[in-house]
Amino acid sequence: MNTTIEVLGFAREPAWLPWAVTYFFLIGVSTTAFFLSLPGLVWRQPAWLGVSRRALLVALVCGLSGPVALLADLHQPGRFLNFYLHPNLGSWMAWGAFFIPIYMFGLFLYAWLCLRPQLAVLAKKGDKLSGIYRTLAYGGHANAGAIKAAALLGGIGAALILLYTGMEVMVVQARALWNSPVLPLLFFVTALNGGLGMTGLFEALSGNQAAAPLLNRWLVRCQWATLLLLAVWGLLAASGISSAGAEALAAMQGEFGWWVTGAWLMGSTLLTLWLASSRSHTLVLPSLFALQGTWLVRWIVLMVSQSLPKMGATTHRYFLTPTPDGLLGIVGMVGLCFTIYIVLTSLVPWDDRAEV
Amino acid sequence: MSAHPDLSRRAFFTALPAVTAGLAAPAMAAEASGPHWSMLVDTRRCIACQACTMACSMENASPEGQFRTVVATYAVTGEDGKTGLAVLPRLCNHCEQPPCIPVCPVGATFKREDGIVLVDGDRCVGCAYCVQACPYDARFINHDTGKADKCTFCSHRLEAGLLPACVETCVGGARIFGDINDPGSVISKQLKAAEGKVQVLKPDAKTSPRVFYIGLAEHLNGRVDGASAADMMWRPDQQGG
Repeated sequence: MNTTIEVLGFAREPAWLPWAVTYFFLIGVSTTAFFLSLPGLVWRQPAWLGVSRRALLVALVCGLSGPVALLADLHQPGRFLNFYLHPNLGSWMAWGAFFIPIYMFGLFLYAWLCLRPQLAVLAKKGDKLSGIYRTLAYGGHANAGAIKAAALLGGIGAALILLYTGMEVMVVQARALWNSPVLPLLFFVTALNGGLGMTGLFEALSGNQAAAPLLNRWLVRCQWATLLLLAVWGLLAASGISSAGAEALAAMQGEFGWWVTGAWLMGSTLLTLWLASSRSHTLVLPSLFALQGTWLVRWIVLMVSQSLPKMGATTHRYFLTPTPDGLLGIVGMVGLCFTIYIVLTSLVPWDDRAEV
Repeated sequence: MSAHPDLSRRAFFTALPAVTAGLAAPAMAAEASGPHWSMLVDTRRCIACQACTMACSMENASPEGQFRTVVATYAVTGEDGKTGLAVLPRLCNHCEQPPCIPVCPVGATFKREDGIVLVDGDRCVGCAYCVQACPYDARFINHDTGKADKCTFCSHRLEAGLLPACVETCVGGARIFGDINDPGSVISKQLKAAEGKVQVLKPDAKTSPRVFYIGLAEHLNGRVDGASAADMMWRPDQQGG
């Protein structure tokens, strides 16, 4: 058997940076939180009334900040215009440029229609923002039909975003770890995991613990679905049914770091499952672990997998550096989320008092 | 032919008047389908001197640490215990079915009629989707421009009647460049002579590369199962120091 040592190798650095992980994380959380807002705000299910309200806040906070990370990844934000001037409709990424505005428009319209009655109440308080509230309330009518129509538009946009973000990665045959039909499903399930986690965190921040059993019940389902999808991917890869999976497995198995990464993913999923099922009345810990799981899957798929060489034997390990396109970018996005959260919660109450 | 390592270069210049004459005479041009540029890399002639790497970097002003072409070098120990040197000059394969083109969201990557795959720098948004889609790691995001970059077969030199810089500088004549539509070109003759022994990188990727290899060890034509000396080394840019 030959033994080969690459004496002089050339590894490419990761072409997609943590901006991509941040975008996939935030847009996934936003779109799934949007769906979590429907049972309470559209279908008026009593158990979901408060939770759905916080879910809408999550959808807004993450939906407003997510595309900023995407723009930052273009190295020069003005370049986004070319997506609309020269679209190549054979590319999933090109379609994403159209799906994002559809979703954002639907989300804003839906949020505004849901908030109108409350804005009218705030206008009557007579403080210095009354004029703005009155203008925004635009009569303050609660129009269930309009809310449903806007929810449909936002829902279509959210579903298209979940579809394109999964497909965009899945179709890349050159990256064996990406080229799996399981991937879009895994991205969806873990995005829902993150949507539930962020909603739970917002619930905890607003002092509501009542919905903990409801959210944790869904978190448990998400963990089982994640474990199932990971098992399916593993089986397809190990059996050779998926040639891309087998190739990815072959590339990873010799690396100790991949074993640690795999163990971390499985361990944290199991830990989230245990926390959500055994401590169903608590929110903070299961929510934080759920968010960690959502981030971890995207980090592994988008960043760690780029270290696997397509040619030769040289890996390019990515080190998170305190630079604008590394750690500072992530911290900056967290700061942006906090800022939007503070602004939105300062202008409109999102806790149960908001039910008018 | 092997005694004349620069024959491909000479033949290219000899063929140039015919090409220009063809362009000037539409009636004649109608008979020919135009050139289809390709490269044949004879790894048996490559000595891994990296002159091509340097020439390319100088010609195309590649940023520090980023290369359009490289020569990966391997120490291969066979079953008999003997160790030898193996090389793999790498560059954009100018594929007939380039996976980088359909993914580009703005149509910045395109394939010319003469077979060369190029990037329109004015249109490229630097999303790096094409970098991900390339099975050969031939593309990168240029640190200076923030846009996709890759080998162009030195199209600017071709237009001036010159060979690509890497071909021009190759001391062993390992890189043979020419028009595969012309049966009389050196590359066509060499490809024909080596019929059955010509390889491409990652044939399973079904990209139909237009960079061909002779004498390439099969286990080096994609991801290589083996150790990398680079992975064992200290990298100051990543690990500090």
